[in-house]
Formats: sequence, C-alpha cells, structure tokens
Amino acid sequence: MQQMEITKEEIMAVYPTVAQILADALGCDIERVKLDASLIEDLDAESIDFLDLVFRLERAFKVKIPRGKIVEDARGDLAESEFEQKGVVTEVGLKRLREFLNEVPAERFRSPMKAAEIPRLFTPETFCKVVVRAQRTAGAGA
Amino acid sequence: MTATGVRIAERFSAFSFVDRITELETGTRAKGRFTVPEAVAEFPTCLAAEAVGQLAAWVAMAQLDFRLRPVAGIAREAKFLGAVKPGQTLDLEIELEACDDDAVAYGGCAWVDGAKVVELSQCVGPMLPLAEFDDPDAVRAQLGVLRATGAPIGRFRGVDRPEAVVIERTRGARLRADLCWPESAVFFGDHFPRRPVLPGTLLLDSQMRLALELAAEATPHRPLQPARVTDVKIRSFITPGQVVALEVAMLGSANGTVTASLGARVGGKPAATARIEMAAGHAP
Repeated sequence: MQQMEITKEEIMAVYPTVAQILADALGCDIERVKLDASLIEDLDAESIDFLDLVFRLERAFKVKIPRGKIVEDARGDLAESEFEQKGVVTEVGLKRLREFLNEVPAERFRSPMKAAEIPRLFTPETFCKVVVRAQRTAGAGA
Repeated sequence: MTATGVRIAERFSAFSFVDRITELETGTRAKGRFTVPEAVAEFPTCLAAEAVGQLAAWVAMAQLDFRLRPVAGIAREAKFLGAVKPGQTLDLEIELEACDDDAVAYGGCAWVDGAKVVELSQCVGPMLPLAEFDDPDAVRAQLGVLRATGAPIGRFRGVDRPEAVVIERTRGARLRADLCWPESAVFFGDHFPRRPVLPGTLLLDSQMRLALELAAEATPHRPLQPARVTDVKIRSFITPGQVVALEVAMLGSANGTVTASLGARVGGKPAATARIEMAAGHAP
C-alpha cells in the first residue's frame, strides 16, 4: 500500500521532542543531534540504544512502534527473499531502502550492504518519520 | 566452562531473589516474595531491585514459553527509599508494559513491612534465547515450584564484594577504579549456569558505593545516601574474571541533591552507564 508522503512540516512538528529523547537516550548534548546525523556513526548509538529509543518514543508520543518496523515498512510488499539473501540486501531491496529512507544522504548506501548494517543508515529524521507514521496509524484507528 | 557441572548446585539459589510467586496474570502483572536469610551479613538495596527485575523475568519467560529470557538492559529510574535488613521479607510486585520476542518493558516495587524500599520505572530487558543461559526445562520446572510450594527460604548466602583498586582520584570530583569479580564467585553459577555474566545490579552496587565515597569527600559534614539512579543502561556483558574500569564523576549539586555520572568500561569499551542522585534523609 502506498503511504501518503510525509511532509517537512510533519517532521519538524515532532523533531524537537525526538531530538530531546535521542539526546537523553544516548547521553549526549542535544546540539549534537542533527536531523541528518547517523545515529551509529555520529552519535555512537548501539543496538540497546535503539530499543531504549523506541520505548521512549512510544511513551512520549503515546503510540505503538513495533520493533523492526523501519525495515519491515521499507520492505513493504517484497518477500523477505526478494529483499535480502544470505544476510545481504538485494539490489531490489537496496532500491526500496533508498526510496523509503530518502532522508539519508545517498553516499551512505553501500552496495553490497549487509542487512545487519541497515541501522547504520538511521538518522533522527528517520525516527521522526517513524513517529509521524505511528501517529497516522493511531489516528486512523481512533 | 568445565565448572558448569559443579556450579549447577548454585542454580536457583546463589543469586535468586524470588522465593514464591503468589499472584501471576500471564503477560500482565505478578506479586511475589523473598525472605532475606538471617545469616547474611547485609542485603544491599540493589538486590531488592534485582528481586523486582527477576519477578518480571519470570513473568516474561512464562509469557514466551521459556524460549527467551530478558538479560540486563535499561532502567529509566530506580528509587531507593529504604534499607533492607537480613531476616526481613520483601513483598514484590511488577507490572508489564509490553512483552514480545524483542523485549520486556516493566515497572515494579519492593516493600518491607508495608514500606516501599525500591521502585523501578520504565525498565526494558532485551530478550535473548533462554537456552544460551540455562536449561529451559529446568527453568520451567522452577516456575512451577515458585507458583506452588515456593522455593526453600535461606538459599542466598550473600555475595562477596571485590576490592576496588583506585587508579585515579580527584578528591570530591572524580574517581577511577578497577574491579574484578573472580570466576570463583558463586553467584555466577546462578547468573547463569550455561553462560555466567555479571549481574548489572552488582555492578551498580559497586558504582553507588564509589559515588557515595566521592560525595563524602565533597560534602564531609552532610552524610548522603543514594536516592535515585536514572538512565541505567547495560551495554555489554561482563564475564567472570574481566577487569571492569569504573568511573564516577560528580556533576553538580542542587536543592540538597548531589548528582554523579557512573560509567563502566571493559577493554576500553563502554559496558554500562547511569546517573546517581544522592541526598540526606534516609538510609537505604
């Protein structure tokens, strides 16, 4: 299903809270949290931080964010075997990722890319979009 | 490890802090009890927090049919509200916020004689395969014991605290110390039989003691106690015999509360982070 595009206004509406949550979760100054920073490369996030982040976002925005949601949404209607094979993202999968994570600078997409490396692409804007999608879902279900 | 066969005797005793589960609503909430044996010299309040976490782990493991268990993780806030003495009984209560194959999120409390001694909020435990850490059938059977007759009281025999070797100290401001929990420490046999790892609460207990030592240097005329620990995050496993580099740094003081950052590194990599607030007024 094609989702309505997320606008810059929607992203900026949630960004201040997302940035503060990121700074709290990562124990860093909020000034370091730039919209396009790589959470792993620039802000030293680890897998436990992503778990922390998701729960903090859920509590702050009162939404549900299933774990693994970003990759699942990026994959969309592609079968898992079409998206990745033997732990490596396929060309089709990479194209989907580029479209879905269009906030990520193009040079950060490597080819080939291991599926386990996908979180290296995530930025604060990625999580702003996660929140906006979750808010839309919650609104649609209300 | 070859000692596993020997250490199996420690399972469900050397580091187990739920004697009985008195109420259990699958995937939602539970109540339980733990009696601190009279014979132990002391019972750090961090172990009351451990008891709350262990009750949540039982509920989570039951919910996931003993495929997975939470190990270490995150605590947004732990309040330390009172002391626990040998011979006292902890009444435990937890409520799950979420529980799935990735994580369990929960909060909970421990009481002694109706007075709250520990309160945990917004805790998250990442799930890992239970079979990596223990025998799932044995764990399942133990839940049956805890739900029915309860485990025998008095199994816990205390934990030895290793001596911290101070590496660097700026009086009242910053302290770095090395600490090593030896492979022979009996709690490793229970935490966990197949894969021993240092319990985060023991690490926190040592860090809190160093923070109090540092705070006492900064405010010698005003004895402080731990009041609250926030943003506890266990980032990696610490295995038996590893040297842990602890770092405590005073961050400031406001309204009678002194705040310090707590860090732990193993091999130069961050293993755990937290903040502690210390205040006068009660004695956990």
